[in-house]
Amino acid sequence: MNPSPLISLSHVSKSFSGAGGVFTALADVSLTIDRGQFAVVVGQSGSGKSTLLGLLAGIDRPSEGEVLVGGTAVHQLPERAMSAWRGRAVGIVFQFFQLLPTLTAVENVMLPMDFCDAWPAAERRPRAMALLERLGVADQAVKLPSTLSGGQQQRVAIARALANQPAVLLADEPTGNLDSRTSESIFELFAKLVEEGQTVVMVTHERGAMRYASQSITLADGRVVA
Amino acid sequence: MDGSLLRPRWRKVLRDLWLHKARTFLVVLAIAIGIAGAGSVLDTWALLRRVTRDEFSGTNPASATIRTDAIDSALLAAVRAHPAVGEVAARRTVVGAVQARGSWRTAMLFATNDLSAVTIGKVQTEAGTWPPADGAIAIEKSSVDFAGVALGQSVTLQIGEAEPRALEVVGIARDAGLAPGWMEHIVYAFVTPATLAMLGAPSDLNQLQFTVRDRSLEWEAVRRIAYEVKALVERTGRRVADVDVPEPGAHIHAGQINSLLLAKGAFGLLALLLSGFLVVNLISAMLTGQVREIGVMKALGARSGQLAAMYLALALLLGFVACLVALPVAALVGRAYAGFIAEILNFDTTGFSIPTWAFALQVAVGLLLPVAAASIPVIRGCRIPVSEALRDFGIAGQDHESDTGWLSRLGGVTRPLLLSLRNAFRKRQRMALTLITLAMGGAVYLGSLNLRTSIQRSVSYLFGDILRYDISIRLTRPMAPDSIERAIQGVAGVGAVEGWSSTRTAVSHADSTLGNAFPLVGQPAGSKLVAFPLVEGRWLTEGSRRDIVVSDRMLKEEPQLRLGSAVTLIVSGRPTIWTIVGVARTGVQPGAYTTRAALAEALGNGSVALVTVRAADRDPSSHGALSRRIRGELEAKGVEIASSQLMEESRSVLEDHLLTVAQTLTVMSQLMILVGGLGLASTMSLAVLERTREIGVMRAIGARHGAIHTMVQAEGLVIALASWLVALPLSVPMSVLVGKAFGRVMLPVPTHIVPGGGGVLQWLLVVVGVSVVASAWPAIRATRVPVARALSYE
Ligand SMILES: Nc1ncnc2c1ncn2[C@@H]1O[C@H](COP(=O)(O)OP(=O)(O)OP(=O)(O)O)[C@@H](O)[C@H]1O
Ligand SMILES: [Mg+2]
Repeated sequence: MNPSPLISLSHVSKSFSGAGGVFTALADVSLTIDRGQFAVVVGQSGSGKSTLLGLLAGIDRPSEGEVLVGGTAVHQLPERAMSAWRGRAVGIVFQFFQLLPTLTAVENVMLPMDFCDAWPAAERRPRAMALLERLGVADQAVKLPSTLSGGQQQRVAIARALANQPAVLLADEPTGNLDSRTSESIFELFAKLVEEGQTVVMVTHERGAMRYASQSITLADGRVVA
Repeated sequence: MDGSLLRPRWRKVLRDLWLHKARTFLVVLAIAIGIAGAGSVLDTWALLRRVTRDEFSGTNPASATIRTDAIDSALLAAVRAHPAVGEVAARRTVVGAVQARGSWRTAMLFATNDLSAVTIGKVQTEAGTWPPADGAIAIEKSSVDFAGVALGQSVTLQIGEAEPRALEVVGIARDAGLAPGWMEHIVYAFVTPATLAMLGAPSDLNQLQFTVRDRSLEWEAVRRIAYEVKALVERTGRRVADVDVPEPGAHIHAGQINSLLLAKGAFGLLALLLSGFLVVNLISAMLTGQVREIGVMKALGARSGQLAAMYLALALLLGFVACLVALPVAALVGRAYAGFIAEILNFDTTGFSIPTWAFALQVAVGLLLPVAAASIPVIRGCRIPVSEALRDFGIAGQDHESDTGWLSRLGGVTRPLLLSLRNAFRKRQRMALTLITLAMGGAVYLGSLNLRTSIQRSVSYLFGDILRYDISIRLTRPMAPDSIERAIQGVAGVGAVEGWSSTRTAVSHADSTLGNAFPLVGQPAGSKLVAFPLVEGRWLTEGSRRDIVVSDRMLKEEPQLRLGSAVTLIVSGRPTIWTIVGVARTGVQPGAYTTRAALAEALGNGSVALVTVRAADRDPSSHGALSRRIRGELEAKGVEIASSQLMEESRSVLEDHLLTVAQTLTVMSQLMILVGGLGLASTMSLAVLERTREIGVMRAIGARHGAIHTMVQAEGLVIALASWLVALPLSVPMSVLVGKAFGRVMLPVPTHIVPGGGGVLQWLLVVVGVSVVASAWPAIRATRVPVARALSYE
């Protein structure tokens, strides 16, 4: 329906200035990702994958160039608007799950809805339960994260990332802390979500992920090489 | 903690508090200590203000008292007709001697025609019956213990040379307008004029008291009215002996109380400030542990404002809980302290409540303090960019760490100690807050020790160097000085003896008004038994006629007077002209001194009623026996003694009283050190928390429990010793401040500003003890850091 891509980066550079001078993590990156894609970002360690994802999530700002996600010029958003936008437009899945330790699984899933007031208060818990159901961890809903296995925690984290029905799901090495069988099931889960229409951008080191990908982006020394 | 009605973010706040119970408890404790410290002073002040206002003004105190003779209803009516005069009353005060349980005390008897209808200086019945019938007596409550009498007992009273009479104590009454009898060493009592007559004292009323219609008038205006009334009295052909106009609305000790509480209030505020520091530290610690979670929540779409609101609400909640604890404590302490002061003031606080506004103020501060203290770390913490929060661990970040390279350049420092030193200086701001908190407490502690020393020394000075006599004897009938001195000198063990004469006098102003009455004392020219320190001028000499030395307080009351000025004093009703040849520090009461000869001439009578005796044996324990020997000797000679006083007793009473005040300051400083200790504990646990990984690495490379324990303890000690050091110079201005405040309130003490060796050592022991206790738990926590977890800690 919509001919324009969901995500579009044009001439994006990101450099960090540190003790050892200026370091360029991304150099003149231009790329597009269409709606409904399962984009997998690969590359060697230090090639700039996390930096790229950070720019898409509005966690960091580019030094140069434009970042458009769902028609929003992310690089131009002021700080306050950035948070609100991030809460609604993107869902983030971390390598270390990052569930809040003092909230139960279902409360963790409700938290983004709470911050963004995305759903009426009464609908939040049923919706969170539905998401946990969809990810196969509904039976873990009232447990604290520390009592869940890694795979279960990551499923809860994905449910949380989906809480506000984001346009895109961003995942930075979501299986980095999981064994290969569990990793496989997470990839399958992403694939299922993509089938249901969810756009996913995932950074990974695992070769096996490539067969689920509908688009692959390879980075080397901060440049897109394939 | 269910809270299914709460939003998840609030549930998080509550569960985080619950999870870190120890820290939550510390924060609540810190706020509670601050609020309780400042609040108790506020409560004391508010309560006393209410009591003094209500109760003292409730007694309808006299605006002025005029001493004249034979006051009758016609005179009262004439004075009442004066347009500025409100109420009028007449009474008589008679000074005599009262004997209870064997010893004689000075008694002051108040008599008026109808004791049941006293309108000015109203008296409250405490026990027994009121008014006393003819031939009975009612004692003022504050004199009861001092006199050693009880309701229903009989006391012997003697006025002048009259036959002593036994009177039954039928009532105990309270006159809130009197300074306490136990403090003044006077037994106040109430009798009817008929009883006075029975005792052989003149019974006509000689004190005319009145109130001014307009209670808001200034001192000067009241004084003017008093002199108009005086003129009115004189027109009836009566002589006026003196006119006494007390400061309107002020109780005798009200000024002292205000400045006393002012000093306490300052320390209360300091305690509050310090607990504020502690809250800053603890909330920073809380947020440090939460940086990653803050990053995650931001990544989930939380705005900085939402996060800040969460943490500030948390601070508000802590403040609320602290208030629940602190308010009752403050009220309890405040009430007790107010009771203590009220006793000094001769008030009663029962039936009065602490005003609501005082509680409201404490709640407001209790809620706002943690929010204000938290706001800086919260804002800083919530502003951290998401990327940084997710990457980094620690609010203060690397860029806030100080350069500690200079430490390695210090010679002779061993490696582990160097590490502790360097760690202690790593977070400069946090360390500064902790250090200041402890050092302030230490400075006040040293200041209070200095004050103690000052008090002890100045009391010794007062009773050793200034007042050089050991026993004072008041005679019922004044006698010629030579004969009484000869009589006492003959008693074994007497070193020196001097008879002093005395009269009450007042300054006669150019506008023919009189100042307030004060004693004029006549002493032998080269008195060996008293040596007041001179402020300026010289002391009295043998040949001085009509020379006086006045107290420095006197110059405050009569500002037109100065060294060398001629002053007209009314002595025995006649104006006499004197020259001020010296100004001396004689204490808090105004007074003047002249030679016995000069006073004898002015009075037309050279007899003395007060005899001072210095014992040959300087050991105070022998003075009681000497006093008994002198009394025996005098009684044998038929000389009647109204009262006698051992200076050693006066000395210990005064010293105890003053030390009580110093004691409250010590308690205040201990409170501050406690707050400092809590601060140190929080700083140390924060340091351990932040260095989990580092400690894990150290353990991985073979550091044993003992080594890690020592490292944490040593770091605490570094801060403690630094505060010990900082407190030393800080105690100097603190001592000056404390000494000044005390001097204004109690009696001017020579301030010892340099901390004494003993105090410095004590403070060292205290601060080391505090450090060891404060670092104990963090040190244990550090040794419990598992190697694996420390290394995997992201
Ligand atoms: N905040 C920063 N300051 C300085 N340099 C940074 C910062 N963030 C990233 N870099 C540098 O940028 C480069 C790219 O980092 P990035 O984290 O994007 O790599 P990556 O591809 O995700 O690597 P990995 O597979 O190891 O996670 C690295 O060399 C890194 O050191
Ligand atoms: Mg990475």
